[in-house]
Amino acid sequence: MNGAHFVVQALKEQNITQVFGYPGGAIMPLYDALFDGGVEHLLCRHEQGAAMAAIGYARATGKVGVCIATSGPGATNLITGLADALLDSIPIIAITGQVPTHLIGTDAFQEVDVLGLSLACTKHSFMVQSAEELGPIIEQAFEIATTGRPGPVLIDIPKDIQVGPSVAHALAKLVNSDKQLNSKRIEQAKSMIESAKQPLLYIGGGVGMANAVEELRDFIQETKIPSVCTLKAIGCVPHHSPYFMGMVGMHGSKASNLAIQECDLLIAVGARFDDRVTGKLDEFAPNAKVIHLDIDAAEIDKLRQVTLSMTDNLKQVLPAIKAKTNIAPWQKQVAKMKIDYANRYDHPGEPIFAPALLRKLAEIMPTDTVICSDVGQHQMWVAQHMFVDRPENHISSSGLGTMGFGVPAAVGAQVARPNDTVIAVSGDGSFMMNVQELGTIKRKQLPVKILLIDNQRLGMVRQWQELFFNGRYSETILTDNPDFVTLASAFDIPGETIVTKSQIDQALQRLLKSEGPYLLHVSISEEENVWPLVPPGAANDQMMESVG
Amino acid sequence: MKSLLIIEAKKSPEFLERLLRVCRHRGFTVDSINAETGSVKQVSHITLTVCSERDISLLTKQIEKIVGVLQVATLQQEQNIKATA
Repeated sequence: MNGAHFVVQALKEQNITQVFGYPGGAIMPLYDALFDGGVEHLLCRHEQGAAMAAIGYARATGKVGVCIATSGPGATNLITGLADALLDSIPIIAITGQVPTHLIGTDAFQEVDVLGLSLACTKHSFMVQSAEELGPIIEQAFEIATTGRPGPVLIDIPKDIQVGPSVAHALAKLVNSDKQLNSKRIEQAKSMIESAKQPLLYIGGGVGMANAVEELRDFIQETKIPSVCTLKAIGCVPHHSPYFMGMVGMHGSKASNLAIQECDLLIAVGARFDDRVTGKLDEFAPNAKVIHLDIDAAEIDKLRQVTLSMTDNLKQVLPAIKAKTNIAPWQKQVAKMKIDYANRYDHPGEPIFAPALLRKLAEIMPTDTVICSDVGQHQMWVAQHMFVDRPENHISSSGLGTMGFGVPAAVGAQVARPNDTVIAVSGDGSFMMNVQELGTIKRKQLPVKILLIDNQRLGMVRQWQELFFNGRYSETILTDNPDFVTLASAFDIPGETIVTKSQIDQALQRLLKSEGPYLLHVSISEEENVWPLVPPGAANDQMMESVG
Repeated sequence: MKSLLIIEAKKSPEFLERLLRVCRHRGFTVDSINAETGSVKQVSHITLTVCSERDISLLTKQIEKIVGVLQVATLQQEQNIKATA
């Protein structure tokens, strides 16, 4: 068995059945081993697409996603995907080929210092230097990617190690490392919860990553504490929960942002006080004591000094801090805010109002539909107006905000969950950034549905230019977009364009009922903006709202 | 504010790169550095003087997350300590 076959065998031992990638010179031995090695490989049409498909696969399942690329440009093309996974704490393994060991450092063909490049965009990275290291490194890589705060890990394997003989390595059994909870802190947390008059849960992506959704829901069921969530935590709390206020932050709901400002105890659960959430940090939750629960100790006191912190597994700590609450007036106030500031969909005129379209889609799509957002105005409209009831059903590039994420993430999600409906919601700007992945959809005959919301603009940047740059629309006008339906048809993907409200119902039905992939191209006004908006540098209660 | 850090880490070719990148990215300037690797246990001992307006704990928590780090100690933290390079 050579090194490359050993890698495939090691992937199988880690229960990897599916990988995404793109071959090239320095990774050819591994592709030869994959040819009949028993691990399914999907050829994406760009390494960035492969990395994002691996992310989509990981996010839709909770498993590790794996992507593969060759040395040099193959590896550099992975970088954006790795950074995306790092910012959103997604467990993926990237395997890159490297030039043979004796050529490293000689500026050989397609040689780049991948380990050096990886330092800022991975949780950890390895360069394999001998056959003996291969087994232990693969094992460590999976452990690092999946334990503690998850993240991407890169393994760079020189070609000579792929073709050379392998060295057997016995897989160690991972030991559950849950630690004993600190009883004093648990009691302090319960005491703070019991004495709070206006407590609020601020729920982040860590809940889903810790697989602690059920524990969170039990906690909410028992304490009836109102909650808000980050973009990445959408789906953790059922949307119909009476005290769930939706997303918080720059484009959060008005009720959420006001509740944050009024709470007297903020319980941050797997959240990191990101600037898009807090607005002006000094004025975020100004009257609140803070309990911060996060597996990553480096997040504690990073941006907000907290009253109490615990860095335990959320599955352990959430059941332990359940406490009796007596907060009826606060619950009443929050429920009223939720009603008073509910979204409205009675948009005048015939042009399509994207929020209403997305709301309608959410109402009629199958329960276990996976929504993969791209990045921009449509991403925020999805977050504000659609609803999913599991975090793995809402996949969005939250931390890095990577345009071009939606379609390849949907590819990965659809491969992972072939029996569920997967919809990529994209914008005309984002769609063109990884449009080559339509070729991947065609190759695998994936039934990915694409909802392309087209305002012929880089809409989010255009909105800021309108509001903060005196309407100087520098390089955001895309009236020279291609004919998207014709473009999709070149990949054998059927589609249609709609422009008026009266077309919506039937077009959505055709989208959902198509057996294969489908593109629904929706033309909207370039003047629609995302509201509310907390302007940069402002506190969350200083929201700008639509005057229409 | 200057701080003196003593770090022990498993020896690896790129560890210093990882360490210095984290220092810069998190807003700390390295004033001096001394690194030695023991021949027996393959452990690197690094003494680092860093300077920043930010609280030193923001850096030490990030350094503790680097894979291979065994121990981080903050020996001094005062306005004007002498670098010991």
